[in-house]
Amino acid sequence: MRLISLFFILTFLFSCKKKEEKPVVVSDMLSNGMVVLCEGLFQQNNSTVSFINNADGSISNTLFQDKAGRMLGDTGNDIQKYGGKIYIVVNVSSTIEVLDARTFKPITQISMIENSVAKQPRSIVFNGSKAYVTCYDGYVDVIDTTALVVEQRIQVGRNPEGMAIANNKLYVANSGGLSSPDYDSTLSVIDLTSHVELLKINIGLNPSALIADNSGEIYVINRGDYGAIPSSISRVNSSTDTEIEEININATHIVKMNNDFLVANYNYTTQTSGVTLFNPQTETVTNSAFIGDNGITTLYGLQYNPTNDNIYISDAMGFTNTGYVREYSSTGTFIQSFHVGLNPNKIIFYD
Amino acid sequence: MKKIFAILLFSPILYGQQDTIQVVEEVVANQSVFHYSENSSINAKDIEELSPVDIGDVLMKISGVNLKSYGSLGGLKTVSMRGLGSNHSTIVKDGFTVSNTQTGQVNLGQIEVDNVVGVVSSIGNRYNTVLPISAQVSGSNFLIKTFENTFSSDTLQIRCSVKYGSFNQQFAYLGVKYQPNKWFFSATGAFRKSVGDYNYSYQNGLLQINDKRLNNDYQDYNWGVSIGRKWKRKNFRFGYKNTAIDQGLPGAVILYNATQDERMTTNNHSFFADFQNNSKKLVTRVYANGRMNHLRYTDPTFLNTSGGIDVTYFNRNITGGLALKTIGEKLFFNGGTEFILSDLTEDGQNFDHPSRLHNISLLGANYQLKSFTFVAQLSSQMVFEENPNGLSGKDRFRINPFISIEQQGQGKMKLKQSLWYRNSFRMPSFNELYYNNIGNNLLEPEDANQINYGVSFLPIDKKLSVFVRSNVYFNKVKNKIVAVPTKNLFVWSMQNVGTTNIYGFELILDANYSFSKNWKSSITGNYSYQRTIDVTDKNSPTYKNQIAYIPLHTVNFDASLSYKKIGARFSNYFVSERYSLNENVIANRVDAFLLSDLTVFYRLILKDKYSLKLQFTAKNIFNQSYAYIRSYAMPGRNYLISLHYAFN
Repeated sequence: MRLISLFFILTFLFSCKKKEEKPVVVSDMLSNGMVVLCEGLFQQNNSTVSFINNADGSISNTLFQDKAGRMLGDTGNDIQKYGGKIYIVVNVSSTIEVLDARTFKPITQISMIENSVAKQPRSIVFNGSKAYVTCYDGYVDVIDTTALVVEQRIQVGRNPEGMAIANNKLYVANSGGLSSPDYDSTLSVIDLTSHVELLKINIGLNPSALIADNSGEIYVINRGDYGAIPSSISRVNSSTDTEIEEININATHIVKMNNDFLVANYNYTTQTSGVTLFNPQTETVTNSAFIGDNGITTLYGLQYNPTNDNIYISDAMGFTNTGYVREYSSTGTFIQSFHVGLNPNKIIFYD
Repeated sequence: MKKIFAILLFSPILYGQQDTIQVVEEVVANQSVFHYSENSSINAKDIEELSPVDIGDVLMKISGVNLKSYGSLGGLKTVSMRGLGSNHSTIVKDGFTVSNTQTGQVNLGQIEVDNVVGVVSSIGNRYNTVLPISAQVSGSNFLIKTFENTFSSDTLQIRCSVKYGSFNQQFAYLGVKYQPNKWFFSATGAFRKSVGDYNYSYQNGLLQINDKRLNNDYQDYNWGVSIGRKWKRKNFRFGYKNTAIDQGLPGAVILYNATQDERMTTNNHSFFADFQNNSKKLVTRVYANGRMNHLRYTDPTFLNTSGGIDVTYFNRNITGGLALKTIGEKLFFNGGTEFILSDLTEDGQNFDHPSRLHNISLLGANYQLKSFTFVAQLSSQMVFEENPNGLSGKDRFRINPFISIEQQGQGKMKLKQSLWYRNSFRMPSFNELYYNNIGNNLLEPEDANQINYGVSFLPIDKKLSVFVRSNVYFNKVKNKIVAVPTKNLFVWSMQNVGTTNIYGFELILDANYSFSKNWKSSITGNYSYQRTIDVTDKNSPTYKNQIAYIPLHTVNFDASLSYKKIGARFSNYFVSERYSLNENVIANRVDAFLLSDLTVFYRLILKDKYSLKLQFTAKNIFNQSYAYIRSYAMPGRNYLISLHYAFN
């Protein structure tokens, strides 16, 4: 019987959990900090939201769970702030979480499942009283930002990704990414008044992220085929809705910094990255080594905060380790790093 | 993205395989030839009392085994031994390997268990056997012995069982063996069926979620025939088996999204044949087996251009070999050679058409002194690959040694000691080499080194028999094959990027005590400690962290008691906390669990010639909410009632 007691002692010992890390309590009203969406990994239901407090540098990696009392779900792809609300697009769970931007308390969860098929939402943009959500099933869903329900579905191309708005039109990148190697290479143009797809513009292979510059030109990252066809940037005229040129810059991320663009590229083969400064007026690279590879393991997100004039790079640390947000000045000088959750991708800045 | 991950984590290509045909081997039956200092075994009585639904439920009771289970009946189940990864273990059924070159691993959830009469795990010495050469050189073995392919003395033997369980599980098995004179003829048939809509619960933040598993139905049937002939010093066997499976794939439990609708059907044909000659000086065994595995996977709502995935794979393996063993007083030799020819085709256009010829040869010398045995073995392996549709894997030539020294049982306690070193490797599977974007034809084999020191003793008493063993070991895995994002986050590809150190300890105990003629009791238990750490890169955040899904502690503890016709067994399985990724942080933690099953049985009839037993098992009696793999919730408390009939 000594064995039995030994067994139960062992069981007891091993059941005792290790000491929990001391939780960071985030105040009821969010301010002076950064909300970081951490995507997690597929099928692990471990998408999280971190809050970095700029005042004392404290970091909570369980913001969503603490405020909502439940978990965010699987693969959070996009987070945006609009009209006093936060919208989180959760791809594999197929939900849009709508939260109060100040308290981070949930307002509603919009299920993006239709006829038992997950629509797999990817990214969100806003115009007037509407939110536009790309869904991998080939549609852009229109959500009323007051009623918070899907009002309309606009058919676009295959597996749409990023969007941008210019000239009262919505530009949608159709990637076709789920039919690899048979990628799509079009940009859908939707009239924002009639919600009708006006046309599809042929651009580079496998388009993903896009932004509009101050003169209404659209810049689209074409991811290529990750092999023989490298990534590039298509420049599109939003008056004539035609492609002006395909610029031979390898890119995975593109964001606006004042009148310039920051263009980042993470090379998956060499596992190196770099950030380039690009002038969209002259269409030239003004600094090809604006931020180097040093200190960045896996560049997975890029953002600029106009309020404090700093640049933020999300470092996914090889995709299977908890990541970092790395802060740089607007001249590209490294300032500090913040340790956040798994696969950080997007940041919302709080004044 | 979904597709790529699905393929890596879940889809049929990793899901692969199912039971094939196979057969016996007398060597397997006769455990005395194994060196018990390292081998664990589970006999027919224990297997029956465990009420397993598949062979995985039995193998998990063996010390050093790590089970990965993705669900209930039919769900993907694999086992690995001592932290080496499942592809380093060979499953040998009745003396023939059960292999799958497409996935490299066998889905144990698809191997039925009602016909199994014994299981042995073997890690160290295998010199005294004529097992297939590939099994003699692999990192570890699980040897399964079935009813239908074994010679025995009775003219007619029958085994029959029916079971019914929670979530509408239904099982039926019939095996008949007729043995006139020196022949045996056997025929078996079985089916397993389940709706699989089991209740499970999990914690979503502050919310306790109680839910039912969906798209988890499973049905299979199998039938087989075997024939054998025995001469004074020779025997011959031949058999065929067919298995067909149709199942829903429930996938991970995804929060807020229950839209799983993937399915898989599998059809498997296999045959085996062997001839063994036991002369006074030499044991010769010639063996051949083959299997054809037809696998269809569908995902009707996958968001691609063709509006879904419907793909069929066809994997063929043919093995032929010769195993030899000389008989000698002091010095004897063993060895042989084996050829495995395999290929893989797909009905779509995206897949390569790889084929592989793999030769394994072995030569070993064994020298026996009065109390010591020395063994030295050298094996060579040659692998030739062809892929007319694309880039092909490299051809290989490798030499791997094994050495051991054993001290035989000494004194009253029959103390045995052994020390051995094994160097082995596992080939990358066809999926790892060729699967669309994921495959990497430049992959090197994954190397494993094992050093083990074991001690065992066996104090004998009339009423009490106790058998205690302990092993300490150090293993090192190099060129570990892992999936890494290489093209974007959604396209992961296989790379040789890991080195793992494994520091292990195990303690195994079997005790039987007969109070009286009518009262009998037994206690079996094992404790396994496996510190399995990533030592790839000093600067990595996972340096010296425990590898994902390997528990530090595993405990098995079973107690059984019987009085005349009535008996009970209390079976416990404890797994300490694990991590879903190599980084040992709280966010990755998967909770420890203790799984307890209680079985009671009553022998309705117990005669010389036949018996009928009624058995009731409550599984997970404490209704633990648990998972082996993150997001793959396992069933809560459930029940199984069964009736077992045996003639001879």
